[in-house]
Amino acid sequence: MSALTTFIKSLVITAVIALVGGGLFLYSGLYPMGADVPHNRLTYWLLETLRERSVARAASDIEVPGDLNAPERLLAGGADYNDMCAGCHLKPGKTESDFTLGLYPAPPNLTLAGDEHGHEHTGDTENDDEAIKRQFWIVKHGIKASGMPAWGPGHDDERIWNMVAFLRRLPKLTAEQYQILTTRGSSSVEQDH
Amino acid sequence: MNMKTLATVIVLSTLGIALSAQAHDPKEHMKDAEKPDCAAMKNMDHSKMDMNDPVMQAMMKQCMNDMHHNDSEKDQAQADHQDNEKSSGEQHSEHQH
Repeated sequence: MSALTTFIKSLVITAVIALVGGGLFLYSGLYPMGADVPHNRLTYWLLETLRERSVARAASDIEVPGDLNAPERLLAGGADYNDMCAGCHLKPGKTESDFTLGLYPAPPNLTLAGDEHGHEHTGDTENDDEAIKRQFWIVKHGIKASGMPAWGPGHDDERIWNMVAFLRRLPKLTAEQYQILTTRGSSSVEQDH
Repeated sequence: MNMKTLATVIVLSTLGIALSAQAHDPKEHMKDAEKPDCAAMKNMDHSKMDMNDPVMQAMMKQCMNDMHHNDSEKDQAQADHQDNEKSSGEQHSEHQH
């Protein structure tokens, strides 16, 4: 009985020390907050695991439309990608921008397949439902404190699905194909869809 | 009466919020929109083009739109040119009389 009491006491003391220590560290301002100093490995792992688990849970109920391969979706989504995303996530032929150099975490280069830009979970097959749901959720809701905005408040689901449709094809596009698919010039497709 | 005023205020403010939250319009980007470089398609290896590929279909669709747009622009320019010639011809014949 006394052994159990001692165990509980030491558990409580450890918890109090951890809380007080954590609080002191938090208020000390010692943690480097600049985007030009990377997180230590533990913080990085904690944040990445938190993000991935949260997105996977939240995206699990999303229903993927059956017509993601429709050319209309590629044209409408391509034009939006070029206007809203290419600055951070790049386009064929570009390897960096001020945003990719300055943001932390660096935005993934979406012209590369998932395993090439360090996000194997994004998949690189057109039938990878989980990856498609994940992309839709991230575009719609954004990611806290990462520079990725939520596009949902200003864009309906159809428009976000168009962007996802384009994202699935982006890693295999040449610069010429990208130029043709992403111009709004004389196209009337976005109005049609 | 107070309830009516309150209801009006609520309806108007809700309408205001709803209108301000509209999606950003693709037309906003049309001002400085680039035209598709469809000439680049001619230099692509046609033997490797798969017409069932959605990317290829989308490119064809984009360039068809562009061609129609250019054709209608040309037709319009030609029509304008013919109108101008006609009217200048009429003016010229009037001048001779």
